[in-house]
Amino acid sequence: MADIAGKNGQREEFRVVGKPNKPGILSYAQASGVAKFGADYTAPDMLHAKFLRSPYAHAKINSINTEKAWRVPGVVDIVLWDDPDLMGLGGMPFGPPKSYLGNVAHQENQEVGAIVVAESEDACEEALRALEVDWEVLPFIVDLREGGTNPDLPVIRSPEDEGGGDMFGGRPSRPKEGNWSFTDKIEGDMAAGEAAADYVIEYDTNMPIFASLIPNATGSIAWWFDDPYHGPGKSLHIEGAVQRRGNIAQMYHVSNEKCVQEGLFHGGKYCDWSLRKSQEITPLLAKRTGRPVRCVNTREETFDFLMNQRLCHLRIGFTKEGLITFIDDQSIADGGRPGNSSFGTTGDMGYGPYYTLKCENISQRYKVVDTNTGMMYTSGQHCPFNWDTLTMGIHIIAEKLGMYPIDVARLNLHGPTSQKDTDRVPSFEYCLEEGKKLADWHWHPNRAKRLPDGRLHGASFRYQMCPRHAFSGYDCKLELRNGVVHLPTQGPCTGIYAVEANAMTVAEELGLEYEDISVDFDYRETFTPVGGGSDGTTASSWAMKECANILKEKILESAIRAANNPPPPSMFGGFGGGPKKENPLKGHTPDELDMIGGMVCLKSDPSQGMPLKQATSENLFATYSGRPPASLWSLGMGKMLDTMNTAYCEVAVDEDTGEVEILKLTVVADPGKVMRLTSLESQIDQVMFFSQGCQLLEEYVYDQHTGVRLNANMIDYKKPTPMDVPSVNRKFLESRAGNAAYGANGISHSLCNTHLIIIAIYNATGVWVDPPATPDKVLKALGKI
Amino acid sequence: MEEKKASVGARVTQEAAAGQAAAAINSMPAALTTFRCPLDGRVFASYADLVDHYNAEHPDSVVPITVNLTINGKNCEILLEPHWTLKQALQFKLGLTGAKHMCDRGACGSCTVIMDGRPILSCQILAAECEGFAIQTVEGIAADPKWKPLIDAYCKWDAMQCGYCTPGFLVTAKCLLDRNPHPTETEIKKALSGNICICGTYPRHSQAILEAAEIIGKEGN
Repeated sequence: MADIAGKNGQREEFRVVGKPNKPGILSYAQASGVAKFGADYTAPDMLHAKFLRSPYAHAKINSINTEKAWRVPGVVDIVLWDDPDLMGLGGMPFGPPKSYLGNVAHQENQEVGAIVVAESEDACEEALRALEVDWEVLPFIVDLREGGTNPDLPVIRSPEDEGGGDMFGGRPSRPKEGNWSFTDKIEGDMAAGEAAADYVIEYDTNMPIFASLIPNATGSIAWWFDDPYHGPGKSLHIEGAVQRRGNIAQMYHVSNEKCVQEGLFHGGKYCDWSLRKSQEITPLLAKRTGRPVRCVNTREETFDFLMNQRLCHLRIGFTKEGLITFIDDQSIADGGRPGNSSFGTTGDMGYGPYYTLKCENISQRYKVVDTNTGMMYTSGQHCPFNWDTLTMGIHIIAEKLGMYPIDVARLNLHGPTSQKDTDRVPSFEYCLEEGKKLADWHWHPNRAKRLPDGRLHGASFRYQMCPRHAFSGYDCKLELRNGVVHLPTQGPCTGIYAVEANAMTVAEELGLEYEDISVDFDYRETFTPVGGGSDGTTASSWAMKECANILKEKILESAIRAANNPPPPSMFGGFGGGPKKENPLKGHTPDELDMIGGMVCLKSDPSQGMPLKQATSENLFATYSGRPPASLWSLGMGKMLDTMNTAYCEVAVDEDTGEVEILKLTVVADPGKVMRLTSLESQIDQVMFFSQGCQLLEEYVYDQHTGVRLNANMIDYKKPTPMDVPSVNRKFLESRAGNAAYGANGISHSLCNTHLIIIAIYNATGVWVDPPATPDKVLKALGKI
Repeated sequence: MEEKKASVGARVTQEAAAGQAAAAINSMPAALTTFRCPLDGRVFASYADLVDHYNAEHPDSVVPITVNLTINGKNCEILLEPHWTLKQALQFKLGLTGAKHMCDRGACGSCTVIMDGRPILSCQILAAECEGFAIQTVEGIAADPKWKPLIDAYCKWDAMQCGYCTPGFLVTAKCLLDRNPHPTETEIKKALSGNICICGTYPRHSQAILEAAEIIGKEGN
């Protein structure tokens, strides 16, 4: 739904919004190394804390003897799981209080049983080694395939270990069986779909684990201090729990006013907003010791999932023309350890690619397996996960029928309004047209093309609808103070350049430059530009646009007041001044004014005006609370299509070495409206970087005998380096069809994929390779080793 | 602990960031005036007193050592345990947080600093080994007007998203430009290949460094 309800949503001329190379508000702090992240903070007389972590994939602590640990020099406090201070901490207000820490670990390296506080990190670690822990090693599952197919495995989770669910739903639809939960979502008439099919294909897809998304080691430092200005009792200062100050305040029963957090920076908060224990525990430890306490995870302790593993088995029926008649998706999803986000399992099954098809016979039957692999917090970058299973199906159908995959996609994609709509989606058609040109798209059947150097050539294509669920409201405030427009916000700064888009929008609406807007960071402010979904940033800009127009009205009214009733000349005002120039706004009405080029001027003659600073001396406030209309996508849960993205990949595969080279990545996307060009381009680079990593390099390995993670570090878990990544050809369409500011809707992680490159390898070689397609796997798939 | 009034901040300009970097450098302690026992927090007036304290109270523990470092052109005396890395010394003894803790095993480049003209990983070198060498951190680069074009270009091209790894990249880039004022894109990629950005900003670094090289070259002429 285009931005029709908002002010100037249909604006045609843009001076500021969409322009490139506008430095981020805090970029200079980041580049200069003066930006402080949670792990950077220290305080005088600071103590350090470390959690005991499980060496086993699944184990229970029966007892801990702390005697030797207490003798380690520098140890100040040892807190065990059954300490009264931990009972009920951070828990729900109902039910019997549980220990914040617990004595059962459901994953190797999980915090469990004890916390040590000491004068140094070294002393913490020495004391942890000195703890005499009576471990009871329990059965574990880290092999999803085994866990999802063997009903005779020991049950690894008791009912009291179950997580409390999360915001993404994914409620079981059948009783739990051992380690398995079930969620079924069946629509349409599957039998009719089967009957209508001329062909049925079956294939398996392995969506691998993708991990270690957060660049900075998560952690915090906290202390308590006297603060009589905000009521009785100590106030809490915490750094490192960025944008979660309110949660910390709630956890420790202090008011928001008595909880201070100045830090703005947190790396890689790309849809992972959950706090880690190292970010939550320091206030308690500071209270117990009376000193500041710092607790920071190591990299090995920050290897959480961006995406859980999912094993998909697909059956797709289609006609001889290529029209899909039914989709039967039977997935085994890794439920991870207790508390794992259901977004990683079934939370995305209510929308996604299947609903972009004319075919209405869709069965999704997911088995969610309790495992001891790890934890996915909040949501992930690759969403919805089954987008790639459909993309694979489109390419398999194309291969079977001798069609172009793009034609198969076009045939099956429904129109903008519903699954019954047979019209073309304009955004899709544009993206295809431009994408084929930019990618120099020449499709060929599998194994049909060799490059001059003898390597096999492969290509792939993927369309993608941006999932959007920005239902968040925004509480915006703008202030004109001494002639300068201030945009106060609590931040944060996490890498998405959200407040920059806000500032550009305000500048656009007020006839100012981006640099004119003073973005004031203050943890006490209510406005945060971050919202849910890919459209969050642009949705906050929509709200800020409304706020800017309210401020504009006030400025124009104020300017008229000042023009018609100028303050009397002061006794000091006349020196050297001569006769004052007549105010050109005098005698006009606010409706006759505009703000252009930093001036308040007449609409009819913009040369007649005054600089903003002179037009009014009043301090003015504007507030706006609200959110844009819901996106078409969210209204239709994927069944209504407005904006679209397409990606294209070409690879070369060396049959002798198994090496895969990405020759070209191309993205043509429709963000609705480009808000901030430079970072939008970078987002495309980022999602392709993610995609490349999980398809060619990144693999999370467990010791199947012990359940221990073998490569939770940055040497053995390979992220792409600058030498690995190809440049990405990109082009943007501005259909203005999104629901947020000026018809924008963002793109964010929606273009991340797990199989674009894998499909290109399939096109090159004719065989499927499980990601990551490392040379050994390619050679194995080719039958060469 | 006493609480200072919480500060609020606005847009950070190049001048402000450079000023903060310079202030951080100026705040580094030049010489030790007290000697704090890292095991129990007791403070002594001399190093000899601290050693006596160790002999009496912590006979099984390794006695801290004093190390003289030259950081960003400033001589600093610090007290630390012999196994401490330069990264730890920079953050916990000198208050410089531009070198970032990410992988802690020499795989990501986020803690890169320059030692006698070469980029090194501060998480992989003992602080005690750095005596006698000139160390430059990102704060030193940011405070030096000569490198303003590099910082400007990084900001202009969004060569950062979350910004955590950015100082490590920038230090490596400066080191590259020191020895190769006009690098090609391939040379830039090679130079930066030891730096990992989890946000995937790599193409932006090349753009920024190429632009900065051109500007610095013109200014030099």
